[in-house]
Order: sequence, then C-alpha cells, then structure tokens
Amino acid sequence: MNNSKTKIWHYILPVLSVLFMLGIWTVLASSKNSLVPTPYETAVRFWDICIHPISKATLPGHLWASLRRVLIAFAFAIVLGISLGVAFGWNKYFRAVVNPVFELLRPIPPIAWIPLVILWCGIGELPKVVIVFIGSFVPIVINTYSGIKEIDPLLINAGKILGANHRQLLWEITLPATMPAILAGIRTALSSGWMCVVAAEMIVARQGVGHLIVQGQGSGDTALIVANMLVIGVVSMLLSTILSKLEGVLCPWQFSNKK
Amino acid sequence: MEMKAKEKKKKALILGLNFLGLIIFFVLWELSVKLGWVSSKTLVPPSTVVKTFIYKLNNTSPDGSTLPKHFWTSLKLALSSFIVAVIIGVPLGWVMGYYKVASLVLTPIFEILRPIPPIAWIPIIILTMGIGMPAKMFIIFVSAFVPCVINSYLGIRLTDPVKINVAKTFGANDWKIFTTVCIPSSLHMVFTGIRLSLNNSWTTLVAAEMLAGTSGLGYMIQLGRTLIRPDIIIVGMITIGMTGALMNFLLSRLEKKITPWRNGDE
Repeated sequence: MNNSKTKIWHYILPVLSVLFMLGIWTVLASSKNSLVPTPYETAVRFWDICIHPISKATLPGHLWASLRRVLIAFAFAIVLGISLGVAFGWNKYFRAVVNPVFELLRPIPPIAWIPLVILWCGIGELPKVVIVFIGSFVPIVINTYSGIKEIDPLLINAGKILGANHRQLLWEITLPATMPAILAGIRTALSSGWMCVVAAEMIVARQGVGHLIVQGQGSGDTALIVANMLVIGVVSMLLSTILSKLEGVLCPWQFSNKK
Repeated sequence: MEMKAKEKKKKALILGLNFLGLIIFFVLWELSVKLGWVSSKTLVPPSTVVKTFIYKLNNTSPDGSTLPKHFWTSLKLALSSFIVAVIIGVPLGWVMGYYKVASLVLTPIFEILRPIPPIAWIPIIILTMGIGMPAKMFIIFVSAFVPCVINSYLGIRLTDPVKINVAKTFGANDWKIFTTVCIPSSLHMVFTGIRLSLNNSWTTLVAAEMLAGTSGLGYMIQLGRTLIRPDIIIVGMITIGMTGALMNFLLSRLEKKITPWRNGDE
C-alpha cells in the first residue's frame, strides 16, 4: 500500500515541479514592464517562425543551415580525429613529434578561434565549419588515443599469436576495442560542436539558429530568443539521444556485459 | 643495467622529438609569413607575436587597456561567478542525490536547462540585465552552475551501496551516512563537475566579452578582428589558452590534496 503510494509520487512530483516552474515563469513575465516573454507568448512566436520566414527562411530552414554546418565539420573531425588518435597510439615517435604542438593548441577554447578564423576564411560558410571542426576534433583525438592506450594487451597478443598482420591488428582488434572510447569522444565532440556553431552564428552569420537569437536581441524580440534557446536545447538533447542509440548498435557487447 | 640505459636512451630520444616537433611548428609558422605563403594581413610570424605581447604588457593602444588589465578584468569576473556557482551548486547536487524528494522535484528542471549551451543565454540576459558586471556574472554563473549540480548529484547516486550498508550495519544514522560515506565517495565526480564548470565559465566569459564588452580578453580579440590585427588576436588567444590550462592544473593539484586516497589509482 505504502509502496504504491510512493510510486505515484514519483510520477506526480516531476510534473508538479515543471508546472510550478512554468507558473513562476508566467507570473514573473506577466508583470508590467517585464521584458521576459510568457510561456504562451514564446509558444506563439515559435509557431509563427515555423510557418513565416524570418531572415529569408523559416525556423526549419535555419535549423537545417546550422545542422548542415555541424554535419560537414563533423564528418571531417571524425575521419581526421580518429586517424590522428590511432596514429598517436600506434607510433610513439610520431606522437612525440606532433603531441607538443597539439597540447599547445588544445587549451585555447574553440570560441577564441572565431576572430582569427573569420580573418582567414571571410564570413561565408567556411569559417563556421572550421570552428565546429576545431571544437569537435580535439575530444575525438584525445578519446581515441586514451582508448587505444587502455586496450587489454591480451587482445593484441592473442591476435599476434594467431598470426594477425598489422592491418588486421588495426582493423579487427584495435578499432573495435577502442569503439566505446571513440563514441564517448564523439558524444563530447557533438555537444561541443553544436555549441560552437551557435557561438559562431551569433558572432557572424545571416542564417542559423544562433543568428536568430542575436536578431532577437537586436530587435528586442525576447520571445524569439527564448523560443530559439529551447529549440537549441531540444536539438542538442535529440543529438545525444541518437548517439546513445548508435552506441547500442555499434558496440552491443558493452551493453550485454552490463546485464 | 643494460635495460636501464636503453630506457634512458629512449626517453632522451622522445624528449628530443618533442622539441623537434615544436621547432618544426614554429619555423614553419615563421617561414610561411616571411616567405609570403600566407598574407601578413591574416597571420603574423611568432616573432611578431612575441613583440606584440611585450608591447601590450604596458601599452594601451590599440584596444584601450594593457594586456594585464584585460586579463585581470576577465579573471576576476570568471573566478568570482565560478566560486559562487560551486558554493551553491555542489551542496544542491548532494542534496538532490541523497534525498529522493529533492531529486524528483529538481531533476526535471535541470534536465530542461542542461542541454541549452551557456552561450545561448547571453542575448536574453543582456536584454534584461544590460551589459554591466551583474549581467556577465549571471551568464557565467548559469554556465558554471549546471555541471556542478549534475555531477555532484551523480556522485552521490553512484555511491557503492555496499559502503552504505556497512555504515547502516554499524548503526550510522541518515545524516552520518550522508556526510561520512556519500559525500567523500562523491568527491571524484564533484571534481569532474567543477572542472567542467571552470572550463565552461572561462569559455562563456570569452564569448560574452566578444558579444558585448568594453574590456577583457574576449573584447581584445574581437577588436583585433575589426582592426585586422592578427598579432593582437593571437596574443589574446595564447593568454586565454594559457590561463585555462593553468587553472586546470591548479584544480587537479587541489583535487589530489583533498582526495589523497585516490592517488593510488593512477
């Protein structure tokens, strides 16, 4: 009896708390000279930009502009990042030469690259892609390398004893065994890349969800800002959900181990 | 004996290669501008960067403040909001992790706020609070607060149940379990959160200064872009990067001091 009662609370309390938050938001935003839009105004504005173009595109258009930048940069970051990480793990001497430079550049936040990248690549599509690339490349390299370092030596030795050559050792043992670490890196990289595209678009762009936020700031349209913040949050959540689904497909042994 | 000598030789070789890498990098950089492979409008050689760095140490042109002044403005702002976020966020995370009711009420709110990148908060905060100190402090607070709470929460939830049961068997009460078992065992996660917070607050600060500021390192590099002064931008980037790395280093030293029992693991 007691048990089922507490279970009900498990469902009711979160809903209550979200409702309570919406309530406080409404009350705060409804006072006379508040700049913050109410949840209702935000929802209306959201629907409005979905069907009426703003800055020459509707919200889905802007969203696609941002996502396209992330996806292009991401494809490069995955290929080059995994290659560099594997090369670091594979050859000590190569790592000794390249790593100091990598460590030198790593602490610079991707956002601090924006002015220099704009100076180099102008204000078209390229600078945004480059900035997202910088933001997502680093975590992939680091995770791939640390994944390779932590491979069970038993696996490698077993492969060697059974007569695997270098290529087989790489493709059939090292890469699958490193997969979970690589995917963890990709997850970090994706959230960092999404943040970078928003930042880059806020600083210089004519399209994209980051641009819409700044446009809202320029015209004092706070409902536009809040609606876009929520869109950015939801997209980031969806991306990470898709990735964890992908993790289950790409390395199922991780999950069967846990059960 | 021979093995040791071999090891030593190998270590020396690696160290040599390390330097070789750096030297190649800087020489290529220097030559690429000097020989005109890259326009000097978009990149300056490292020798010029060093010159500009020394010049900026006590000259205010062209961006209105000296480098140390920009640096202090940024650091003060980032650290003060970061510390406030840690002081409020970590205990809140602990309470959320230990007391079911607090978790049920607060978790959904954090799950909604978490995926929004801190940078996306900047415009709405600037509109409602202006571009002064309080607005910037609030932006950094938001960016640093969320990872602190979530990681401290996870740290408590991941406490080994065996340890809790042992404490219960020995007659510890709820409060005692919370303070002497759960909190110490959560510290590793707490520090992960604090490190994330620190990185977030430093990055967000730079972004905030780039978007709306009249001083600080972010403002300096943004102005460097407007004035097409790559040397100013690179000096700013290096200062930002070094400061971030230094803060991270100090934090990991602090972590080792506070949780000495973990040092054996590594």
